[in-house]
Amino acid sequence: MNSEETTVAGQLSPEQRRIGVYVCHCGGNISDYVDVQRVVDAIKDEPGVIVARDTIFACADATQENMEEDIHQYGLDGLVVASCSPKLHTVTFRGVAKRAGINPYQYTQVNIREQDSWTHGDNPEGATHKAISLVKAGIARTRLTTPLEPLVVETTQKALVVGGGITGLRAAIGLADVGLEVFLVEKEQELGGWVGRFGTMYPHDRRGSELIAGLVGEVRRRSSITVFTNAELMAKSGSFGNYVAAIRVNSDLPELIHVEVGSIVVATGFDTYQPEAGEYGYGIDGVVTLPEFKALIDASSGPLVHHGRPVKTIAYIYCVGSRQPGANEYCSRYCCAATAHAALQVSGLDRGVHQYHLYRDIRTYGKYELMYTDSRKNGSVYMKFPEDTPPSVARTDGGQLTVTTHDTLTGGEELTIPADLVVLVTGMVPRKNEELMGLLKLPVGTDGFFNEIHPKLRPVETVVDGVLIAGACQGPKNSTESVAAGLAAVTQSAAILKKGFAELDPQVAEVNAAACTWCEKCIDACPYSAIEKAEVAGRTVAAISPSTCKGCGGCVPVCPEDAIDLRGYTDAQIRAVIDTMLEEPVA
Amino acid sequence: MDYDVLVVGSGIGGMESALKLGDMGYKVLVVEKEASVGGRMILLSKVFPTLDCASCISTPKMAATIHHPNLTVMTYSEVKGIRRDADGHFRASVKRKARYVDEVACTGCQQCETACTVAVPDQFNADLVARRAAYIAFPQAVPKKAVIDRQGSSPCTFACPAGIEAHGYVSLIRSGEYEKAHRLVLDATPLVGSLGRACYAPCESDCTRGSLEGTLPIRRLKRFISDRHVESGEDLGIEVAEPNGRRVAVVGSGPAGLTAAWQLARKGYTVKIYEAAPEPGGFLRLAIPSYRLPVEVVERDIQNVRDLGVEIATSSPVRDLAALKSEGYDAVLVATGTPRSTGLGVPGEDRMGVLAATDFLRRIKLGETVDLAGKRVVVVGGGNVAMDASRVARRMGAASVTVAYRRSRAEMPAHHVEADDAEKEGVQFAFQVAPVEVTGDAAGAVNGLRCVRMALGEPDASGRRSPTPISGSEHVIGCDVIIAAIGMTPDTAAFASQIGVERRGTLRADPKTLQTDVPYVFAAGDVVNGATDITRAVGEGRRAAHMIDRWLTGGILDGFDLRLPVVDKQQVLARQKVYTLRPATPEAVTLEAAPRDFREVEAPLSETEARAAAGRCMDCAVCSGCHECVSACPVDGCIDLQARDTELDVEVGAVVVSTGYKLFAADLKPQYGFGQYRNVITGMQMDRLLAPTRPFNTILRPSDGKVPERIAYILCTGSRDETVNNPLCSKFCCMYSIKQNQLIMGALPLAEVTVHYMDIRAAGKRYDEFYEQSKSMGATYVKGRVAKITEKENGDLILRYEDIENGGQLVDAEYDLVVLAVGVQPNRDAAMLFPEEQLAEDKYFYVAEPDEDLNPGVTSIPGVFVAGTAAGAKDIVDSILHAGAAAAQVAAHLERTQANVKVPA
Repeated sequence: MNSEETTVAGQLSPEQRRIGVYVCHCGGNISDYVDVQRVVDAIKDEPGVIVARDTIFACADATQENMEEDIHQYGLDGLVVASCSPKLHTVTFRGVAKRAGINPYQYTQVNIREQDSWTHGDNPEGATHKAISLVKAGIARTRLTTPLEPLVVETTQKALVVGGGITGLRAAIGLADVGLEVFLVEKEQELGGWVGRFGTMYPHDRRGSELIAGLVGEVRRRSSITVFTNAELMAKSGSFGNYVAAIRVNSDLPELIHVEVGSIVVATGFDTYQPEAGEYGYGIDGVVTLPEFKALIDASSGPLVHHGRPVKTIAYIYCVGSRQPGANEYCSRYCCAATAHAALQVSGLDRGVHQYHLYRDIRTYGKYELMYTDSRKNGSVYMKFPEDTPPSVARTDGGQLTVTTHDTLTGGEELTIPADLVVLVTGMVPRKNEELMGLLKLPVGTDGFFNEIHPKLRPVETVVDGVLIAGACQGPKNSTESVAAGLAAVTQSAAILKKGFAELDPQVAEVNAAACTWCEKCIDACPYSAIEKAEVAGRTVAAISPSTCKGCGGCVPVCPEDAIDLRGYTDAQIRAVIDTMLEEPVA
Repeated sequence: MDYDVLVVGSGIGGMESALKLGDMGYKVLVVEKEASVGGRMILLSKVFPTLDCASCISTPKMAATIHHPNLTVMTYSEVKGIRRDADGHFRASVKRKARYVDEVACTGCQQCETACTVAVPDQFNADLVARRAAYIAFPQAVPKKAVIDRQGSSPCTFACPAGIEAHGYVSLIRSGEYEKAHRLVLDATPLVGSLGRACYAPCESDCTRGSLEGTLPIRRLKRFISDRHVESGEDLGIEVAEPNGRRVAVVGSGPAGLTAAWQLARKGYTVKIYEAAPEPGGFLRLAIPSYRLPVEVVERDIQNVRDLGVEIATSSPVRDLAALKSEGYDAVLVATGTPRSTGLGVPGEDRMGVLAATDFLRRIKLGETVDLAGKRVVVVGGGNVAMDASRVARRMGAASVTVAYRRSRAEMPAHHVEADDAEKEGVQFAFQVAPVEVTGDAAGAVNGLRCVRMALGEPDASGRRSPTPISGSEHVIGCDVIIAAIGMTPDTAAFASQIGVERRGTLRADPKTLQTDVPYVFAAGDVVNGATDITRAVGEGRRAAHMIDRWLTGGILDGFDLRLPVVDKQQVLARQKVYTLRPATPEAVTLEAAPRDFREVEAPLSETEARAAAGRCMDCAVCSGCHECVSACPVDGCIDLQARDTELDVEVGAVVVSTGYKLFAADLKPQYGFGQYRNVITGMQMDRLLAPTRPFNTILRPSDGKVPERIAYILCTGSRDETVNNPLCSKFCCMYSIKQNQLIMGALPLAEVTVHYMDIRAAGKRYDEFYEQSKSMGATYVKGRVAKITEKENGDLILRYEDIENGGQLVDAEYDLVVLAVGVQPNRDAAMLFPEEQLAEDKYFYVAEPDEDLNPGVTSIPGVFVAGTAAGAKDIVDSILHAGAAAAQVAAHLERTQANVKVPA
């Protein structure tokens, strides 16, 4: 499509548009660097601009109301808000447009904060010039906007849960309890994951295996939950609200089971850090990881015995595999409290055991602090080792296992502790899950765990609509926190699905069938398999499914015939933006 | 059922639960006690570890909350009690606190805020700066609507029988708005100058400042604005309604009559006052001596009334009320006071030389001479009139003046200041004596007063001890003149055939409506109540005008006294830990032992004194009632100071308790000096200093505004600390401190940031990386708890601690600013929500989750759920997850219990 064609008969020419422009101070986030008043003055006479204002907080409710008033009073048909990243407020201002009767897609968000004021704090003059340029470009784009309507699709009142650990099980029950039909896929033969193998756990001293048994019983009681064990998710197709999941049950069977679901809750959990041989003496008899130690405790009903030898002295070395520069840099969050809890269990089994905790920071946050305090009251000794001099573990010629460390708390002198058992307090690592990541197209963070859409406010949502992450697959968590996250994913699913329909973004690619020659280049460019062959007026052309297309624009530049355009970001609009920016020399 | 779910509290947890339940199609009522939704997050600078601007990511949620079609939001409202029905539903009582601003009409223009004359600590800026009594919570408030913070009536205003907004005019004087202050008093009465001198100021007796260095001179402040007004020559500047065609006759021109006439005239009535005396003003003009109340002051006040077109006919006694009616008056007010002195009632009282006090005072005020030169005068009585008479007698040259009173000094009804002043002017007192006979010489002139001594018995109904004569104690006080000041009575004989008159001559009128037996006749003031004082008479006059207006406009005779309950002075005093005492206003009365003239004895306040005095006002009720907001508001009727709290009962299917947490009160760690050392601030205060809506445009320290170069943090202030009964970790203080460290290093590149910590608890996604980043940016983290802080004279602070990582020696380190990383305390309001059923708390008073392992968000009461920090310390993301879990629990509960009442989305 080119710019002449956008001015279709009966529609206003771009210069006749009635656009309102709002330039935000963002408290001082923008106006500390950008001269907002100058920006307003510079753009207020641009063609099509009817209202131009500055505002302290464009997002404030009162400002939104003022915008709505302007839209009514001046009969505006386009809106430009120059403030922060579109990631923050696109939905906000689309809402303003919609409430005031403008098509939400005739609004343009111009980012003069992340892409201007915050970046050019050292050059206010340049930042102001850039802001003027960006706002003019936004106005140019808005002049060429056309009303777009979201595609409304009915949603499937079913959900898929991937992972049958405590998070997935609790989520499945929660989903069923809000009236959704649930499919639960578990890779292993048995449901329950890590927690199912644990004995007594913190914070409430309940046995993991019993918690899981209770949940499995609840799952079984609900006819709306279908459980597939020994099963894997193999493929996902369809679009938000109506995904089709292909599940392979029992790797020997060739047949895939296809289920339609509206949302997918990924609760694939974690792995524990496995130390390298020799890492803090790992491999020496008597050096165990925290899960191995937990198993030893769970199996004991009296004083601990390891490999036939009574355990009278234990040294714990914290942060093994966590907070390691150049390796796993993250904190595993759950291990400090888990270790304090284990130490209390040991004291319960045998009051005579000496326990030495070699730590960097004890992170028994919140109410878990009480376990740390109790463990000290029960005789545990805590020693802080300097970051740059970690403890070392050795077995002497005489066969004695020793840990050598420096205790900052008592003057930093080197101490050698003879120990019967050395527990490496190992943390959580992300599961190796490339296939699932690939088929769900879920991004992972630098730590290797799945990434949420916003770490503060949207912790279970992902960039893929309707695909949610819960529990330790998103980042280290204990079981209580994982259950909460699982239920939060239930809420998110219900919030999406219970209203019965979903609105899909109309800013998708479309094919000008007259120009298409079916060269198939676009097919390869589409990561979402949204393009198919179609017959139009006797010609073979490409057709793009608006519900599958994500509007990534990947197909647009590869088309040799310029036959594909992205609605909302048409070639004409992009050209107008570029032309405008070239007019305005950036200082 | 009214709503599926009630969400109590609209912090991040409450909003998340409510929004998600709304998305699911449930009807949700959100009740928030503050004037805006948003809780604490909206007040933060940025959030860790992303350094997103907290307000930027809060505002969409706040806007979504208020605009969601399934959510009803009540801000500035409190849930008073939730009761569970037999059917498992809940009945909640919601108090909608009066905003005094029409939430729909308010445009958020903030003109009321600009006009408001009261400043109080701004809780939304962690008390770093002030906000107004009329205020919008913060710039991004949702809804962006003003409220007026009225915590009741201020004690001074509440105490005033005249109904004058004492606090209001004091706060206007503080703002330099003397004319406006004058107009505010005029709103109640025209007698500003008279009250500024002759009122006994019950407001001052109740002034909260009296428990500190001394009461405000509220009466003299009124005199100040009256004098200023006269000097300025300005018009009265008050609003007067168009004439409404109705006429009212007022009989009597004392304070009650003048005030009633003034009020009626302002409402558009045509008013005529009939006065029996040759001069108008009643006791103001004809009794109170000029050294207390100069004649010209009274005349000026009376002129105010005349300026409104009120006609005053003097020497015009009224005997026939019906005649007034037939003359065309629609209503008549009788306010003739108590002009007659009670006689002594003892033999010889008609001897020459026995005077009635009221006659005596009146003759003096009318300029007649009463020759007392060289005479011995006895004044009988112990009231204010007795004091006036005795002091006037001194001025008329009496050789001696003795006040004879039958009880002791403590029981004297006269204002103690009057008695003291009389004594200073040479008046002598004979207590516990009662007259038995006036003795005289052959010519019939007085030569003595025979008295009997009195013993004081048990207190009587009035609380005063009743005197009984002691037999055989009779004696004669030699004297030439006796002035009887033992009481005053009305002169109402003429009305006895027309309206009800009581035995003692007072008129019978309904105490609330002031209406007499004859509907068109109202009676007010001392003629109804017997002798009282000016302020009561003024109050009665106002009431009478209000009731007459109601009666003539066909309204119900009510709605006069709309005062809010008086605030508790102890609570006012408890708002602040430490008070700086300021010099009290010195007395300015000059008395001579032998006064010879009638010059005013009290000096006026200078402007400087007046401003300083008004500046001591503690704004007890916060809103002063100055009405500046009402004048400033561009929307007519939007601000209504007569609005009152309302209660609303709702039935809901489930309850989410998201009442959040309280921050640790840092002054509970006295060794850190918070509240005492000005440069010791809390983490929340630092967050405000760094926020986009920060109160100053930089980080500065409170004592001198210096930009700090050495900043220290003390983590775990009030957390992990058995000495303050909080062994728990608060979870987020390490992280918010690290966030602030980075923001400070960004804002003040040269500042050194040092953090004194126990353990750095960076447990969470990307938290430890954030901590490492902070270290690499240059912040220093020092292991060990700080023992104490001392303050240097220049405001710098010395932290003493054991330097664990460097050999353990004691170190004194000096800083410009210290930030206490205060943590979380439970908000015990949560448990109060359920008066009939116990909402279980854990050992540390957070809402308990009995099955937290598998059912987070579920409480001990079926159908009641908890979201966020009400259940324990959480950072934002954990609150979001917890609130999400709570919403899932609510939805499951509703599906289970009421599957059929759900509203489609």
